[in-house]
Amino acid sequence: MSAHPRGAVAAREVQELDLRGVACPLNWVRTRLALESMPVGGRLVVLLDPGEPLESVSRSAREDGHEVELDGDLVRILRR
Amino acid sequence: MTLSDPELIRYSRQLVMSEWSGAAQESLRSASVMVIGAGALGCPAATYLAAAGVGRIGVIDDDEVELSNLHRQPLHLTPDIGARKADNAAVKLGFLNPEVVIEPFPARLEPANAEALLAGANVVVDCSDSFATRYLVNDTCCALGIALVEAGVLGLSGLVMSIRPGESACYRCAFPIEPEPGSVPTCREAGVLGAIGGIIGSFQALEAIKLLTGVGEPLLDRILQLDGAASAPLAISTRRRQDCPACGEAAGPPAGARAVEEAV
Repeated sequence: MSAHPRGAVAAREVQELDLRGVACPLNWVRTRLALESMPVGGRLVVLLDPGEPLESVSRSAREDGHEVELDGDLVRILRR
Repeated sequence: MTLSDPELIRYSRQLVMSEWSGAAQESLRSASVMVIGAGALGCPAATYLAAAGVGRIGVIDDDEVELSNLHRQPLHLTPDIGARKADNAAVKLGFLNPEVVIEPFPARLEPANAEALLAGANVVVDCSDSFATRYLVNDTCCALGIALVEAGVLGLSGLVMSIRPGESACYRCAFPIEPEPGSVPTCREAGVLGAIGGIIGSFQALEAIKLLTGVGEPLLDRILQLDGAASAPLAISTRRRQDCPACGEAAGPPAGARAVEEAV
C-alpha cells in the first residue's frame, strides 16, 4: 500500500504536450498554462517544431525559472 | 474554467508576459467592472478592459453622442452622432471582443440608483465628469466595499488614484472638501485635449486590471498627477482619515463586512 502523500505522487507525474504545428507564441502560451497547472517538481515533455519554436519555448521556460533540457525536438521541463 | 483556443490566441500577447498567468486571465474573465461615463475617460478605459478580457463590463451614461465629443471619445465616430453613448459604446466594445459581455445602462448615476447600479461589481471605474458624481461614486463604493479607480482630466492635465475602501485612502480622504458647484471650470468651459483623456483613461484600465488580478502595485494611498504640458508625472502620497465620513470609523464597516458579521 502506498504511503506517499498526494503531492509527492503528483510531482512524479510526467505530462506530455504535442505542439508540433503550433506557431509562436501560442506554443509557449500552451506550455506556460500546462506548467501553471502542475505542482512544483512536476515534469513536462513538449514536442515542438525545430527552429524558432524549439528555441523560443525553451528560452522562455528558462526565463520563467524552470529547469530545461533540450533533447532533439523535445523540450524536457522540470517545473519550478 | 479553462480558456478556449480563440481566447488563448486573442490574449496570447498578455499571456506570455512574465508578470501574467492563466490564473490572472481567468480572474479577469470572471470579473465584473462598472464604467461610469462613456466619454473622454470611459472610452479608452472600457476599450482596454474589454480588449484585455474582463468578463462583464457595464457602461453607464445618459448622454447622446455630439459632434463636439468626437475629438476625445474614440468609441464614438461621426456616423454615431445622436446615438446614446452607452448603447454605442456597447456595440463598439462588442465588435472589439465578443468573448465578453457588455451591458449598457443609459441612465444618469444619482443617489437614488447608485447602490443598485454599482452593487455586484468587483471594481468600479469612475470616468464621470462632475464632482457631485465623483463624491457619490466614492461614497457608494465605500458603503458597498467595492474597489474604485478615480480620475479626472482638464486641459492638458489629469490625475488618477485607486481605492480599496477600508484599506487605503478614499477620494474623500484625499479631497475632503467638495468644491462648490460652479467653482471649478468644467470641460465645456476650460476645454480638454483628447490625448490626455486617452492617457488617464488607459491608466484607469491598467489600475482596474491590477486590482482584479493582483498583478503589479495599484495606486493605493497614492495619486498620480500628470502635467501633460510639461510631460511631468508626479506621485503624491495620501492616506486614510479616521474621521472620513465616507470610509472612516464613523461611517461603519462596508456592507460586505457587515454581511459577514451578521452571518457569524
